[in-house]
Amino acid sequence: MFAKSVIEEVLEAALSTGGDFSEIFVEDRRSNRLLLQGGKVEISNSGRDFGIGIRVYHGLNSVYTYTNDASKEGMLKAARNAAAAVQGDERASVAPLADRSIPSIHPIRWNPLDVAKSRKVDVMRRAYEIAYGYHEKIQQVMISSFDEEQNVLVANSEGTFAEDKRIRSRLAIQSIAVDGEKYETGFYGPGAHQGFEFLEGLDLYHYASEASRIAVTMLGAEPCPSGNFPVVIDNEFGGVIFHEACGHGLEATAVAKNNSVFANRIGEQVAPEIVTYIDDGTIANEWGSLTMDDEGEPTRRNVLIENGILKGYLIDKLNARRMGMSPTGSGRRQSYRFAPTSRMTNTFIAPGRSTPEEIISNTENGIYAKYMGGGQVNPATGDYNFAVMEAYRIENGKVTTPLKGATLIGNGPKTLQKVDMVGNNLGHGAGMCGSLSGSIPVNVGQPMLRVSEITVGGTKGAE
Amino acid sequence: MDLNQFQERLFEAGRNVGFTDMECYTRKREQFSCRLFEGAIDSYESAELFGLSFRGMFAGKMGYAFTERIDEEAISYLLENAKENALILKMDDEEDIFEGSSEYRADNYLSEALQEVTPQEKIAFLMDVERQVRAYDPRVTGIPYCTLGSSSQERSIRNTRGLALRDAKNEIYVAVGVKVEANGEVKSGSVYQATIDFESLNASEIARKICEEALGQLGSKVIPNKTYPVLFRSDVAAALLATFVPIFSAENVQKGRSLLAGKLGSRIGVDALTIVDHPFLPDGLASRNFDDEGFASRELKVVEKGTLLSFLHNRKTAKKDGVESTGHARKAQFNGSVSIAPSNLYIEPSDTSCDDLVASIDDGVLVTSLSGLHSGANPVSGEFSLAAHGYHIANGQIAEPLNQLTVAGNFFAVLQSIQAIGADLEFHPAAGGSVGAPSLVIQELSITVET
Repeated sequence: MFAKSVIEEVLEAALSTGGDFSEIFVEDRRSNRLLLQGGKVEISNSGRDFGIGIRVYHGLNSVYTYTNDASKEGMLKAARNAAAAVQGDERASVAPLADRSIPSIHPIRWNPLDVAKSRKVDVMRRAYEIAYGYHEKIQQVMISSFDEEQNVLVANSEGTFAEDKRIRSRLAIQSIAVDGEKYETGFYGPGAHQGFEFLEGLDLYHYASEASRIAVTMLGAEPCPSGNFPVVIDNEFGGVIFHEACGHGLEATAVAKNNSVFANRIGEQVAPEIVTYIDDGTIANEWGSLTMDDEGEPTRRNVLIENGILKGYLIDKLNARRMGMSPTGSGRRQSYRFAPTSRMTNTFIAPGRSTPEEIISNTENGIYAKYMGGGQVNPATGDYNFAVMEAYRIENGKVTTPLKGATLIGNGPKTLQKVDMVGNNLGHGAGMCGSLSGSIPVNVGQPMLRVSEITVGGTKGAE
Repeated sequence: MDLNQFQERLFEAGRNVGFTDMECYTRKREQFSCRLFEGAIDSYESAELFGLSFRGMFAGKMGYAFTERIDEEAISYLLENAKENALILKMDDEEDIFEGSSEYRADNYLSEALQEVTPQEKIAFLMDVERQVRAYDPRVTGIPYCTLGSSSQERSIRNTRGLALRDAKNEIYVAVGVKVEANGEVKSGSVYQATIDFESLNASEIARKICEEALGQLGSKVIPNKTYPVLFRSDVAAALLATFVPIFSAENVQKGRSLLAGKLGSRIGVDALTIVDHPFLPDGLASRNFDDEGFASRELKVVEKGTLLSFLHNRKTAKKDGVESTGHARKAQFNGSVSIAPSNLYIEPSDTSCDDLVASIDDGVLVTSLSGLHSGANPVSGEFSLAAHGYHIANGQIAEPLNQLTVAGNFFAVLQSIQAIGADLEFHPAAGGSVGAPSLVIQELSITVET
């Protein structure tokens, strides 16, 4: 996007007041968003985000400036603004820039920018018809599609100069079922680091009917009881609970400053032996995958917990300094408007030996969380909360009544210790994760698993 | 190319390719933020941003496109994409380009005093907060985040029907978290305070507030799981109201996503409940003279003495209902589509102090924080089951702190079962505007305490 000589000049300017490391991130992103509602295209918007972010380190302090004035003067001004916040003694120099771009490990067939919007609408309309026609109680269906091409350049004073092109596509289906004053929604939102071939190849029948099935099922759901129960959490998006309860606590953002319950515990048994937890940004074409991270580091497979033992963290460049460890290809950001920090990519619990049937039939009186909603964690205390989108009662080893309004609360590390069965049906689910460096695409995943005890808060109250 | 030139060239080129009416909406923003860790600046950010969103009528339909760059290439990019976007739209209710309201107020919501505060003064203030938090009590073991940010934003709307509006506003916020530990128990406290008045920020007050909140939670206990009268502290009540503000959006009502459909003129709350939207509060974070469609703002009574009087409208929803817009068009981002959001919307306070509210409860729960509002609350059905922290209230007094708990109920039932309203109105930046509430006592909600 820019000549190396211009970039070198900007990196030099950023170091002019004694910083010891400078970096420039250039982003050019084109995106399309479509919304089909009531069978009609209601929103179609396209746009171009373009900007640069400049970062300077001075020891453990970090300065970040960003702007969408990407003229040479604009970049130099941003670099000098960043430098103005640094007061160092020694002046570091910029190493000669060497192209460290690596070929994408996520093959793309059809760039969505080259595909007519009407073809995307065709796919959306097919999904709409399946979801709407699923049941007479389905009153509304919203289908949205999103695609983007994000071109990034990362260059730093250590000589890195790396470019990457990321292409992502996502289809989201929301079905609304109504019965009198009862109103329930179901959602499914598959996504991939892939082009239009992803949309074309999607099993629309599966995703669209599932969204509608959830909404219709929940119409007949009873209020969830409260109390402590064994909870069976199903695969795919069920992994969100460990994303929140453990994943965030393993990010260097929390660990480096000792704000995580997992800090200083490498080598310790933090989970039962049946639990192995992995973050892998290299899985081909997955929603959370990248070829390189937003600091120019190749992504990799990071084993975080292996057979219950804490093995490592997700580490970005700045926190690597603080921790005296190496970066793990985990430096991510929403856009040039955010300084990168350690984030997850595709994070999942590795498959175990139990079949889903065994897990259910071994549970006498519990809750089955088939589809999870969103949740939140406080990394300092490890306390989390989650909404369950589709829940059921388990009685005498059988799934029975659907339940609504189930919220799970607990403490991440304690819940992790209570995982007592891990299934063999690993699946991944796409989501957006919001944190310090903005909202980014991530996958969460797991096979079906059981936690021996979680506090469930519902509207029905104690039994 | 400056913005004026760009817009003129864009409108001219647009007319040449067949656009009739056209409009540009722009936002220009300057922002600053810094974060401290262990007494030193851990991160420092500054930014200048600009974004332009174009919309234009092509073949009777409105096409949208946006850009952050204004150059020759952007003109053709915007026009080509807006045209393609217009052509695939299938809309019953056509949008149009607005020629403007007949009159606008000219209130100023840009604080000159805040513009003058230097980064050094802001950092010094934040350092003071951090120092005071650390020194507050030996049980303080960490400050997970300590951040200050400020921003100023200029907004402009200009179209080919003669509308040309511009305004500016600014604000500053402080966000701090604290971790306390005693006897193996870990608790946390946090605060987010936003204002346009830098002088109103008080470092020792902030430190005291979050430390007391966290320390007060140590030694937490369990009470039986059942329904209790619940006192939502004002900031928590505001956050809960903000989550359910979409029920008042005419867009949601028209699309069958609000249970308030058909309830105009009906009683939806207790007698004591009045909800207003006031766009001209001098210190309001969402104060403005016009909305994101350029429609002149005005005060609105949404609920009066329990009766629903109006929904929040933009021009499109107002046209559909055959009423006048209430001036609540909102673009969450410069490049997004026009939706609906409140300005400063709040429940009118009474003159009962929060202490008197506590004294009115025999056996209840005081809720001092809520989390999971984005996932554990359904703004359509009104159902919620939310993680919370708080205290047991016994015999009219705040008793022991409680373990993490869930509070569950239905928001529509909450409006009908407010037993008392406090005097302590507090605002919460949310729902695309600013939402406020005083402390509220709710007759009964289901409480489940983690064991």
